[in-house]
Amino acid sequence: MSWQTFILHFFTYGILLYSIILLICYVLIGAFSISETRSYLRKNSFTDYRMLASSTETPSMSILAPAYNEGANIIENVRSLLSIHYNNLEVIIINDGSKDDSLEKLIGAYDLYKVDFFVNQQIKTKPVRGVYKSYNPVYRKLIVVDKENGGKADALNVGVNIAKNDYFVCIDVDCVLEQDSLLKLAKPFLESTNQRVIAAGGVVRIANGCEIEGGRLVKVHLPKQFLPRIQTLEYIRAFLLSRMAWTKLNGLLLISGAFGAFDREIVINCGGYSTKTVGEDMELVVRMRRYMEELDEPYKVAFIPDPLCWTEAPTTFKILGRQRNRWTRGTIETLRTHKVMFFNPRYGILGMLSYPYWLFFEFLAPIIEFFGTIGMIVYCFTYAVNWSAVLILVGVLCLGILYSIFAILMEVLTYNQYRGRKDILGLVGVAMLEPFVFHPFVVWSAIRGNIALIRKQNSWGEMTRTGLATAKKAS
Amino acid sequence: MLSYLYFKNLYDKNFDKWSLISDLLIRKAVFYDDEEFEGDKMIPVTARAEKLMKNKHFRKLLVNEIMSAKRSITGTSADNLKHLYVQLGLDKYAFDNLLSSKWHIKAKAIQELTVMDMHEYVEQISAYADDKNSLVRMEAQSALIQFNGFEGLNFLETLYSPISNWHQIKLLQQLSQLPPANVDMTSWFTTTNSSVIIFTLKLARIYQRFDLYYEIVSCLDHEDPAVRYEAIHCLNEIYTDETSDNFISRFLNETLKNQLAMIKVMATVGTEKDVEFLLDLLTHENDEIKVRAARALVQSNKDGMISLEKYSREQNQSINEIVMHIKGEVAA
Amino acid sequence: MKILVAEDDQLMIKMLEFRLKKDGHDVVITNDGRAAVQKLDDFQPDLVITDIMMPYLSGLEVVSAVKKRYPTGTPVIILSGMGQENVVLEAFQLGADDYMTKPFSPNELSVRVRRFETPVVK
Repeated sequence: MSWQTFILHFFTYGILLYSIILLICYVLIGAFSISETRSYLRKNSFTDYRMLASSTETPSMSILAPAYNEGANIIENVRSLLSIHYNNLEVIIINDGSKDDSLEKLIGAYDLYKVDFFVNQQIKTKPVRGVYKSYNPVYRKLIVVDKENGGKADALNVGVNIAKNDYFVCIDVDCVLEQDSLLKLAKPFLESTNQRVIAAGGVVRIANGCEIEGGRLVKVHLPKQFLPRIQTLEYIRAFLLSRMAWTKLNGLLLISGAFGAFDREIVINCGGYSTKTVGEDMELVVRMRRYMEELDEPYKVAFIPDPLCWTEAPTTFKILGRQRNRWTRGTIETLRTHKVMFFNPRYGILGMLSYPYWLFFEFLAPIIEFFGTIGMIVYCFTYAVNWSAVLILVGVLCLGILYSIFAILMEVLTYNQYRGRKDILGLVGVAMLEPFVFHPFVVWSAIRGNIALIRKQNSWGEMTRTGLATAKKAS
Repeated sequence: MLSYLYFKNLYDKNFDKWSLISDLLIRKAVFYDDEEFEGDKMIPVTARAEKLMKNKHFRKLLVNEIMSAKRSITGTSADNLKHLYVQLGLDKYAFDNLLSSKWHIKAKAIQELTVMDMHEYVEQISAYADDKNSLVRMEAQSALIQFNGFEGLNFLETLYSPISNWHQIKLLQQLSQLPPANVDMTSWFTTTNSSVIIFTLKLARIYQRFDLYYEIVSCLDHEDPAVRYEAIHCLNEIYTDETSDNFISRFLNETLKNQLAMIKVMATVGTEKDVEFLLDLLTHENDEIKVRAARALVQSNKDGMISLEKYSREQNQSINEIVMHIKGEVAA
Repeated sequence: MKILVAEDDQLMIKMLEFRLKKDGHDVVITNDGRAAVQKLDDFQPDLVITDIMMPYLSGLEVVSAVKKRYPTGTPVIILSGMGQENVVLEAFQLGADDYMTKPFSPNELSVRVRRFETPVVK
């Protein structure tokens, strides 16, 4: 056997094995998701959220909404946050040193005045310039914080310091929330009797193409543009299948930064959001889990499959590419910070299953795909077409499409947001196109994220190391 | 999978038609006028609706609509809805489901019978109050309260399974719709079920049960910090001039969360004799404790602000910002 | 009497509309607080019935808007699932004239509405 055939076989069988494991994972994810979703929907049918809305015994919650140069829509956005149904609520808007007139607009619209406020720096942050409240009792839930610019993680940490309540919900200020979203998100914290629920995530859906009026979703439509439409499918797949399945296993690692609720005490004990990574949302959940594992206390990260939060998706390849590039870097940084957990039985499901899955199938998948495809093309051109490799490729493609269609089916059976045959057929069509048009682009963006990180590490090596040290101390 | 999607679509269209029919039925019942008819009360039901009653899916839809209407109205209209429910024999179906082996069907049946005030099934339902499935027992416990009022709470005495916070909120909400009654709650303090004690403490707080003061204070020594936490909160409503002493003597051994709660409650229960203790806390390492101690000092004493400012001026300049913060709060 | 109703629950709307029309009132329904306030000038209601938890503007804000526009007349009845003391107090402080909690009795509502029909002599 020549070395060429050896390498060829090594690659073919390696990729075959990888694909088989991935396939098994997908089947398991589907199965777990069905079981978790069914039990959630059954339980939920007994829930009267109106009852929770009018109770005074609900846990107190703080909404944290960091805003940077959001002046154009900030007044409407805040108004929509203030109209959310929840009794024990404070809404904290953190103006992260905006260069526009966001703060002046808020002061004018909501009759704000500056209060003497002692900020308890439980988490170190950039300085706070002022805290504002309203003269008008109708807006007594509102607190506006003005601080020096320090990025999203830093702004959220200021919010965590100022919040008074047991739980906080971080949201992107431009998101559209369903009015009962907080009631739904509060429920998992109340339900558990033997585990401490440290965080709860909600579903984020794509708002492009939907009718939105005054910060409120009026009618859901499937986006007309290609990119948002394909992301709609992607989000359905990620939230309805993957996150539900991981919730079933209590191994969920990621709560979207756009919408999630956290136990404030534990976040503070963990040291808050990390300002050293671009993936602060994922990093925080992993750190909180690790903290609980090290304390040996029973805990859970919950997830609510109801569509609660709607966000505008990128419509150009440029912005989308930047977003995916950032996600990749966030994932790698998080995995690296917590590498001690890799196949470490001390961390239970987290170390034995969640972490390896993310490493092999979230981080490595684009790399393997990229080099696998290139390798095959090169081989086909230089030697001969390798039919078994092509067969594997076609098989993987078909299964990918099947998985997407399964996701669409789950959506129709559960929440059925996209009514009408046209919308559903639109989604199915997009599922067929995705592997050829959209997916290669996502893979390429991920590769660029990897490259960017390697470059950054060469120039900013010093900084990354200090980042690791503080993270360790905090956990 | 695709053909399934297609059939689902058809089924949904059927659904819209049915919901019109059930709407009409409910409206007829809600605004049924007793005086217009002589003799036996019969809510008119069309032959078409009668025929649809054999369809399981239609019944489900109708029952859901009747229940949600029943939940939002009271008085004669509500009685009429109940009448419609029995007239259509829907309670019989619910009773069959009560004996189902599937938890969600059983729980749904209990809920249905409860919302519809079907008192005659209380005996059967009470058997499920300590069921191993949390939703079945939750619905059964709610049913007992719905039917028997505060007396229905007696299941607490022997309850083995935990009551989640969620469920406690639900029970309290239900109780708040009833006229208050002074039931004997002392035995609920002695169970080994922490969640029952916590729930009892909430009841004592909400219904201002001063007669339970000593039971509540004894919970400050309970081994479960969550019970102690609830007891501290309870004392915010039910207290004597000695309550703060009970806090101070236990303060050092408490968890941070409970210490914070104690100081918060001191704002209500604190007296002149606690000034010393609160001033001492202003040198505590935890800033949150300092802020709360300063607030408690100001709120519990009419001269609190003066002593706080004097202290900050003469002995501890570092808390100046906290003093300003509290002053701002008082002004607001 | 011309009654403006602000309520977002479809079932409640149906029941309110049916009952009030049966009592001979002229009823306009709005599905949220903002729409209700916008309708004020147009419809010039003699009475406003509003829920509290609604999209855009809460019922409490509707109360303040009505009272600002018509400092003397146009009573407001609040019909809400929220019965907590602080909410009720706030509602009356803002100028609400009556407060009913859900579940409610349609008959009782009908009587309470009638009370506002003849101007109350002060």
